Amino acid sequence: IPTYLNCILKKAMFGRAIHAIARISDEFWFDPNEKGLALRSVNSSRSAYACVFFSSMFFQYYCWTAEPELCQKKRQLPLTCKLVMKSVLPVFRWLNTLERNVEKCNIYTNVNDCHITFKLFCKHGIVKTYNLAFHESEPLQAVFSRHMCPNVLKIQSRLLTDIMIHFPTYQEEVTVAVTPMKVCFKSYTEEEIDFSKAMHTKIHLNPDEFDYFQIGVDSEVTFCLKELRGLLGFAEATSASVSIHFDVSGKPIAFSIEDMMVEASFVLATLADIENRESSQQSLCLSQRQKRFEVGGKRCTGSSTAFIAMKTHIRASEYFVCTETHFIKYCIFQFHSLFFGAVSLKEQDVISHTLHSLATASDAEDDFDNEQLSQVLYGCVILKRLLKFSFS
Amino acid sequence: MPLSTQPETGDDQYVLVASLDNVRNLSNILKAIHFKDHATCFATTNGIKVTVENAKCLQANAFIQAGIFQEFIVQEESVTFRINLAVLLDCLTIFGTNSLPGTSTALRMCYRGYGYPLTLFLEEGGVVTVCKINTEEPEETLDFDFCSTNVVNKIILQSEGLREAFAELDMTSEVLQITMSPDKPYFRLSTFGNAGSAHLDYPKDSDLMEAFHCNQTQTNRYKISLLKPSTKALVLSCKVSIRTDNRGFLSLQYMIRNEDGQICFVEYYCCPDEDITESEL
Repeated sequence: IPTYLNCILKKAMFGRAIHAIARISDEFWFDPNEKGLALRSVNSSRSAYACVFFSSMFFQYYCWTAEPELCQKKRQLPLTCKLVMKSVLPVFRWLNTLERNVEKCNIYTNVNDCHITFKLFCKHGIVKTYNLAFHESEPLQAVFSRHMCPNVLKIQSRLLTDIMIHFPTYQEEVTVAVTPMKVCFKSYTEEEIDFSKAMHTKIHLNPDEFDYFQIGVDSEVTFCLKELRGLLGFAEATSASVSIHFDVSGKPIAFSIEDMMVEASFVLATLADIENRESSQQSLCLSQRQKRFEVGGKRCTGSSTAFIAMKTHIRASEYFVCTETHFIKYCIFQFHSLFFGAVSLKEQDVISHTLHSLATASDAEDDFDNEQLSQVLYGCVILKRLLKFSFS
Repeated sequence: MPLSTQPETGDDQYVLVASLDNVRNLSNILKAIHFKDHATCFATTNGIKVTVENAKCLQANAFIQAGIFQEFIVQEESVTFRINLAVLLDCLTIFGTNSLPGTSTALRMCYRGYGYPLTLFLEEGGVVTVCKINTEEPEETLDFDFCSTNVVNKIILQSEGLREAFAELDMTSEVLQITMSPDKPYFRLSTFGNAGSAHLDYPKDSDLMEAFHCNQTQTNRYKISLLKPSTKALVLSCKVSIRTDNRGFLSLQYMIRNEDGQICFVEYYCCPDEDITESEL
């Protein structure tokens, strides 16, 4: 049996990582290389990206073979498999019993029949073997360079958890406002809100609460809390602190954990004020709207005044390049997009190709449009989890 | 007897009279077989057997031996009636399912014979409820002809070892495949669902394994939808005996310890789903 990946791990940390990235999407990539194993996930609206990387040191035993001959013969890239979260979560379902009952976990893949095997060695000598089907798919990663961010905060994960616990579970977005003097986490609320019902939470922190504190630019960024909660759940298993890299509103925010053997990084889109930031682009976009609409807006005829979704695919170099432009007439804010690049590319290549804008979003089309349409139907003035790829 | 009201007529006209200080010793064990609403009750001087069946492929029997009851009188050689199990359980738990510690519901159960209702007197804290449940025409139950002399493989496991397995069963799989073998994998549960296959292996020297008597390798498939309800019995039980006979019929016997420390048994019989060829193993 040609085994591409074979690793043995002990800790339930792996299970926690699966649960953390399950917050992002219902699919994820299993992306091993010679240095270790990366789990990557991008949500369907491409506004959140998670990557948890386990170095080969994390595993008791780690073996990875690229088998170049086979790759050439089958015109394959080295093993990259996309797994459905629903099929993997049962393997790591109960984290508490996992920690107590599972002594060892063995993961290996068989490329010939597109199966990945998770073998759990449990208490009482019980062995659980799960053979799960995967499909080969090139993983994406967010194009985001942390070292370019003017604002960097480093905080104990426990402290960050204690801050986030004050936000109720229904709170979808949180704003972090920073100045060189203080940091404030506060509830983000949409414009027209019923103040009698809403609870607002604000938590102020002094710079000395942070392990590292660097504010290059005063800013106020708003991001989704769901994904961060996932990361914090994972951080519980480590004692590492969480680094937060961000810029002004509209640019992504990254939360990362670096341990000896594990690195986790969650990149989230932040809300941008479209009126301020893109008023100059608006006229251009509007003039192009009618033309583009005929290309891509097949579902939107009835609501064209309120909403237009447009998608074109241009084949450039080796992957699909996708542009999506979305307008809602009364739209004030929207989450800015993340750029994605294929993991197989070298980082420099990705950055130099940024203008070609890299993402494959074809499979997300239907959900996406439905989600947006329903938002329009409910008269929602805030457009969330949207992305916009522009070629400007 | 904590009951404050006595039946108006004498006990001698009843073919079955059974009294119990703690009704949960009866209701809990009936819950273990409650996957269909109709049950057939057989009472002899040894006790009561309650039988529930599904799809002519599955039969569950709960045995409540006479010793569980404080009073147990059967006037005829055997008394048989059919009853709606859901209604019976509703009546038995009419004072609530989780009573406060130290309090228990007492039961007196009477049956006059064919055509009469089953009468329940339930008492808790001086309050008495009388329930009359109409009985139904008894139907013939299946005879699985499962004889211990034909048993090929037998395993006794501590129930905790199977509980997680049954809770996690991939219900997108149509069947649960059970392999019992004197050699590896000894005892294996497999499912084949949408996401892929899952196998659960128990070594024969596991500390959960109370007994391991496997004579020949057998792999049989059973409808998962039929076996899943046995989880109810598994959850209550402390030990489970898993047996297969030469036809591949499955017997699951659950040993259930009640609140007073007495032992009762619940038994499930299941037909194999189909013959499988060697290549599919």
